[in-house]
Amino acid sequence: MGNSRHLGLMLLAPAGIFVILFFLAPVVLTAVFGFTNMSTATGISGGAYVVSDSTMLALKERYGEQELAERLLRKSYVIDEAGLQAALEGGAARPTVEELREKYLGASFGSRREVERLLKKLYNRPAGIRQIKKIAAGFERSVVNVRYDTPEALLAAIEGYGITLTEAQKEALAEVSYTGWVFTAQNFKTMVELPDTWRTMANTLFYVFTTLILFNTGFALVLAIATHYMPDRPAGFFRSVWLLPRITPPVLYVLMWKWLAWDNGFLATILEPMGFAPRNWLLDTPANAWTFIILINGFVGASMGMLIFSSAIKAIPQPLFYASEVDGASRWQQIRHIILPQLRWPILFITSYQTLSLLTSFEYILLATNGGPGGATEVWALATYMKALNNYGGALQYGYGAAMSLVLVVIGVALSLVYLRMFNFKALTESPKIEQ
Amino acid sequence: MRILLENFTKKFGDLTVIDGMNLEVRDGEMLALLGGSGCGKSTTLFSICGIHRIDGGRILFGDRDVTRTTSQERNVGVVFQSFALYPHMTVEQNIGFPLKLRKEPKEQIARKVGEIAEMVHIEELLQRRPGELSGGQQQRVALARALIRRPSVLLLDEPLANLDAALRLEMRSEIRRIQKETGITAVLVTHDQVEAMSMADRIAIMDAGKILQIAEPREMYENPVSDYVASFLGSPPISFLAGRIEGDAFVEPATGTRIPLRPEIAASHGGRAVRLGIRPEHFQPEGGIAIPGRISFIEIQGRETLFDVELPDGSVIRSIQRANDAVRIGDEVRWGIDHEKILVFDENGLKI
Ligand SMILES: Nc1ncnc2c1ncn2[C@@H]1O[C@H](COP(=O)(O)OP(=O)(O)OP(=O)(O)O)[C@@H](O)[C@H]1O
Ligand SMILES: [Mg+2]
Repeated sequence: MGNSRHLGLMLLAPAGIFVILFFLAPVVLTAVFGFTNMSTATGISGGAYVVSDSTMLALKERYGEQELAERLLRKSYVIDEAGLQAALEGGAARPTVEELREKYLGASFGSRREVERLLKKLYNRPAGIRQIKKIAAGFERSVVNVRYDTPEALLAAIEGYGITLTEAQKEALAEVSYTGWVFTAQNFKTMVELPDTWRTMANTLFYVFTTLILFNTGFALVLAIATHYMPDRPAGFFRSVWLLPRITPPVLYVLMWKWLAWDNGFLATILEPMGFAPRNWLLDTPANAWTFIILINGFVGASMGMLIFSSAIKAIPQPLFYASEVDGASRWQQIRHIILPQLRWPILFITSYQTLSLLTSFEYILLATNGGPGGATEVWALATYMKALNNYGGALQYGYGAAMSLVLVVIGVALSLVYLRMFNFKALTESPKIEQ
Repeated sequence: MRILLENFTKKFGDLTVIDGMNLEVRDGEMLALLGGSGCGKSTTLFSICGIHRIDGGRILFGDRDVTRTTSQERNVGVVFQSFALYPHMTVEQNIGFPLKLRKEPKEQIARKVGEIAEMVHIEELLQRRPGELSGGQQQRVALARALIRRPSVLLLDEPLANLDAALRLEMRSEIRRIQKETGITAVLVTHDQVEAMSMADRIAIMDAGKILQIAEPREMYENPVSDYVASFLGSPPISFLAGRIEGDAFVEPATGTRIPLRPEIAASHGGRAVRLGIRPEHFQPEGGIAIPGRISFIEIQGRETLFDVELPDGSVIRSIQRANDAVRIGDEVRWGIDHEKILVFDENGLKI
């Protein structure tokens, strides 16, 4: 027994590795990234500590350190080896440089005027005011836009310029000056605050449930039941026709719809004589765009439900149909009392499966309207894709995108649970579905 | 209600399964449709209840022509071979289904279901689902569902085929009891001659879509129209001896035994090659016309013992007797054929 259990585990190990690598890891990573502010600006590896304009803004706004920010902006002057070297190379006399090194190495000043005054007072005073200005400029030091690898280096540099910092200021500076990504719940706050979010969510729910109810489940049921009552050959033909959208490459399929709806396409051409001005019917109004989006997705999505429902109906023993007929059931009563109860499980399966796939799929929308007109058909998955992977400005917000994906995952799981409850999944799995 | 099939024809594509059948089921009787597999019994039944459209002829319920009506309109109760209970409904819902379809009030349905459940003895099963019932219980539920509407006609398609031997025996008398109690006209499809003989008022024996004979069980057993009918009824089955009529008797060629025939047969068929049909109970150690043979097979059935007696030319006559241990396989015997009871068939198998 023990042996065979180990053997089983061993045999499963390769599959397990793939599951972890390709199924589990992406979800976990998405969850982790969702709580970061990763973007093209932060990069995905570590960052540096830089005092930049945005740092200064953050200092003022988040910590109220207006004064510190201004002080950091002001330039400091420090007599250091680098400045001395620059002076030598810039043509200053060696004695002047030596005197500066001996007497003032390490001294710092708040303005250039002070440095110039100091130079003028030297025994080996530089010849000419231009020379003095040039040397003084060489000692100009600023932390602004200089990259430091650690916060300590940055703080040391700042203090080196004669700015004394309190502990609180140090902490604030270390935080606001970091350019890499950090963990934060900011994404979710932003999401809640942005009005776009709610609109996208409303779009998504509308898109998913309308397509689902009208086509992926509803129309699929109609097709399956209608073909059940048809003779075999026409029924087979009919079902195959509805499979075509599914097996047509999406780009071609959407292209045909676009051709149908273009301002010089099929619809425009036949409607023009009836007094409708040619227009792009697809992107004309939000209502039109939605109609097309739902038709495009529905025609693709109906086939799967149709196949599953058809085979489930086929699995109902023929005598049950005979029996219900002699019991006096009309066709409608037969559908209501014999077929539909036997389809509970397939309907649950299709509903939850298609909800998830509609929630996450956006390729047909991307190809057809790209969320237009004016964001009217932008759904959650499309917005996520745009934020994280396809922004025109090139500023990709990975963290925000991941946070949006995470919301989708949570909604998906929640809906699945609701469905299971609604269809009383437990009772379904406990008793055999079709006896005899 | 009387059922009348007139020139009833049924085809499946090019295959004509029933060709011009005429059949009358009398009001209140139980008629057994008996025949081998594939002879068209179910087809006939399904045509009577309207599941199959017929391709020719008429079907009348009483004086009403129902040929063109749908099964929903015919008010027929059917018990299917597989019972065809609705698996997602409880027993109560199954039985009440025909009434529910007619939108009868709930309390009325419940009352009727209670009554019929009592009649078929399943009162305590009403809340179960078909999957939780034994074969015999399912059978009773199917019967109750077929009867609840008080149908004009009850059709039973091999209702006992899926039951074990003991249950079959019990349900045989149950169905008969219920049919008598309700006085309903019933058609019982079966391929089991014992079932047909024990349950039906009359038997219609079918072969290849044709009805060969309709008669009461005893009449059909004693007076079959052909050797096919004779061999279909009776267990163990009838045995045949080939020979010729010479003078006033049948002559068995292998042993030269002469078996006297009734004068009217001998007189009008002299010299003809015929076959004798001998039922096992008419071939006994005592009495009759003795014929020599050797015991080739013995089957002990408890109260009775079955013997095969082989004649020199290899033909076999069966005998059934009260338990008899006196003879063994290989023994030479001279048992007697009861010549009063023998059946004579001509070259075409028709009874003379
Ligand atoms: N739906 C059908 N389509 C084509 N042929 C059929 C169909 N139903 C029955 N048949 C054929 O009709 C003939 C009679 O069938 P039927 O079912 O009436 O036989 P049966 O007497 O009930 O036999 P069994 O005792 O095996 O049930 C058979 O040859 C069968 O193959
Ligand atoms: Mg049959």
